[in-house]
Amino acid sequence: MDMYAHATLILVVIAATFTVAKLFKLSIELSMFAAAIAAFVVHTGNLPIRHIVEGAFTYYDVCLIFITATFFMSVLKESGGIVYMVRSIVKTFHKHRALCLFLLTVVLLIPGALTGSGAATVLTVGTLVGTVLTYMGISERKTAAIIFLCAAMSAAAPPINLWAMMAAAGSNMPYVGFMGPLLVLSVVGALFTMFYLGGKGKVVDLDKTLRELPEPPEGMNWFRVGLPFAVLFLLIIAGRVWPFDMPILGLPLMFVISAVVAILMSPKKLKIFAIAEETIHSLIPLVGIMIVVGVLIQSMALSGARGLISLGVVTLPLWVLFGTLWIILPVSEGLLQYAVAPLLGVPLVLLFNMKAMNPIIALSAMAVMWPVGDSLPPTAVVGRATVMELEFKGRYTEFLKACIVPSLFILLVCTLFLIFSNQLSFLVAG
Amino acid sequence: MKEKGLATVKVIAICLSVVAMILAGAAFYSHRTYKEPVVASEYVTQVKKLSDYFPDLKGTVNDCNIYIFEGSEPGGTVLLIGGTHPEEPGANLTAELIVENLRVKKGKVIVAIRANRSASTVTRPGDAYPQFYHIETPWGVKKFRMGDRWSNPLDSWPDPEVYVHYPSRQMLAYMDIRNFNRTWPGRKNGTITEKTNYAFMQLIEKEKVDLFIDLHEAELEYPVISTIVSHQRGVDIAAMTSMILSSTEFNIGMEYSPKELHGLSHREVGDHSRAISLLYEAPEPFLDRVRGITDERLLLTGKDPFVMKAGEFGLLYENIDENGWPIDVRVGRHASTFLTTLEMWSEFHPDLPIVIEGIPRYNDVIANGVGYYFKDPSAAPENRVFYE
Repeated sequence: MDMYAHATLILVVIAATFTVAKLFKLSIELSMFAAAIAAFVVHTGNLPIRHIVEGAFTYYDVCLIFITATFFMSVLKESGGIVYMVRSIVKTFHKHRALCLFLLTVVLLIPGALTGSGAATVLTVGTLVGTVLTYMGISERKTAAIIFLCAAMSAAAPPINLWAMMAAAGSNMPYVGFMGPLLVLSVVGALFTMFYLGGKGKVVDLDKTLRELPEPPEGMNWFRVGLPFAVLFLLIIAGRVWPFDMPILGLPLMFVISAVVAILMSPKKLKIFAIAEETIHSLIPLVGIMIVVGVLIQSMALSGARGLISLGVVTLPLWVLFGTLWIILPVSEGLLQYAVAPLLGVPLVLLFNMKAMNPIIALSAMAVMWPVGDSLPPTAVVGRATVMELEFKGRYTEFLKACIVPSLFILLVCTLFLIFSNQLSFLVAG
Repeated sequence: MKEKGLATVKVIAICLSVVAMILAGAAFYSHRTYKEPVVASEYVTQVKKLSDYFPDLKGTVNDCNIYIFEGSEPGGTVLLIGGTHPEEPGANLTAELIVENLRVKKGKVIVAIRANRSASTVTRPGDAYPQFYHIETPWGVKKFRMGDRWSNPLDSWPDPEVYVHYPSRQMLAYMDIRNFNRTWPGRKNGTITEKTNYAFMQLIEKEKVDLFIDLHEAELEYPVISTIVSHQRGVDIAAMTSMILSSTEFNIGMEYSPKELHGLSHREVGDHSRAISLLYEAPEPFLDRVRGITDERLLLTGKDPFVMKAGEFGLLYENIDENGWPIDVRVGRHASTFLTTLEMWSEFHPDLPIVIEGIPRYNDVIANGVGYYFKDPSAAPENRVFYE
């Protein structure tokens, strides 16, 4: 069998196994795992345990960030800090809707911009901002869409954009010059989303809202709420300002240190182990999918299926790429998560470079399109985290529908950046 | 599912996970601890450790062997390193071929086969690399560790959210803090990768290295391929080497090291030491993202229909046909490029000649196979067998 037929067969086996597993009502994670195992078995005639375990560790660091960021946020919630912040924001900004929405957009952009993770935004400030938006008369469906898309834009925002960094590293480009294009695209995308979905709403009935919001525990104040965030922010900034003096802590430890500060600042005694247990319990689907996606990618790389997909994309004519990348990139993100950056990003950026396009603008545009797909199945990591954190009661498809128009706007702007990459070269700086 | 059934499923899942951990753990352990025997040439003068130049590395995974060959006549000093990126086997195989066969007549040659040993003790999650590859020799099969581009996270973890290069402060992707060719000139108090670069800079200074050569391989989708990348102080030698090789043996280009791209050996070694720095790139289709089945065959033959198809669409910076890019061709290119570079060096610096013999050229390596030049460690005197 030639390699094309073999790789196609593997893709068919993956799709068929996944479908059958779903018919047997297995979860998405288990269905994907079954598909990966089937791919391994068909390709090797064996069960290559080393490949399964190695693949499972592909996103190990990302899983640790999810877990520790969620624990940090859970501690803040249980200490009453979130309630205190929500009440304060509502009290201060209830009369100035546009200003309030703008500030909330900024708040949503910061965590992901600093960590490169949309899930970090959802897990740290998503619930807080979501609650405020709900009290501003925005439906739960639209609120979930705002939180997700702003989280996606925060992940795309500089200074840390993991897709751009991974693709740049794979193409031996320095991660330099991305600040301008990433900032423009992510801020425009986030503001459009916020004002398109949340621009209209009722005037906040302050008394009613404050009556309905839970009371924070006695003794809670801005210092107690702010200090854990300040510590987190300082730890992240310190690594950049004094990179050669600061020990490398890594984001997971930074979140843990911030969580410890939050525990110490809490006016009431917290059940730490119960919070930790609940954190892990709530994250099992999220972490599970990341582990399984890693195994699946390993099976696809081993068998040539990954190469076939990659080849299929990069051999498309340029005009077809411009016309389809807005679909291909989000869908591939939904399928493979960050792995799409080296898989598709590297060949595409090398292709664009060869075609005399500005590779930094082109990669920036792609790196903003990818996170839009974080709401798409089978992984839907950030989308699922959003509906979980906001306790959205509706169907997942309702949430997706609310995302359509702002998503299309973001993808359109990014496509224009791709097409006019050379004309937009002036954005490349620092 | 009923409570009892669920509990059974959980117990089975835990048992299977433990079995998988043990089996995979054994595979990872055997890979990490596998020692490659090297039979140093009978003309080797001494074999030091990298920690002899920077004691902080003593006892660490990156305390690699430093093979020193001194000629009977004085001359210049060249340092050649393989294994910067252990996923590029043409580099460490060439370095080992040189160590096992070299005789220096004038000057001094220093070789490190596995410059970043840590990266040779891990394969990349998600990329399905083989753990080992095997080279046929006249006395049997010789086994080598396949590695990764980045140091093993077991030796350097966690990564920062963004890697700020020392001393330029240029921001690079977070994992590149473990990329030995993004951390030059290194840092005394840095990560193990940065410390290793620092140790090599100490070696360059203490041994008064005049010429530094870093061996690499690259994917065909990458524009810097089949070339010599040169620091601005080495362009005369690199250009002449490129011209001579292209007219006599095979096509190879020459490129200037970009001044704004930091952390790479061809930039930083030249900027921060007296040595002229060069970097060789040979084609390795195994590294292409559009590659097909990932296995040892592709690694050693360089044959891949998907990469060929990408070439038909004009997406590659190097040609490829059904003959692929076999490991013998890649090692042969590096060997000839090294030999020609030294010839050019000696012409440009007659007061500091480096004259060597015993190293096969491109056509010899292709005709005989790289394995032909590796010695049998079981038949060699014990004092000449070293382990990488």
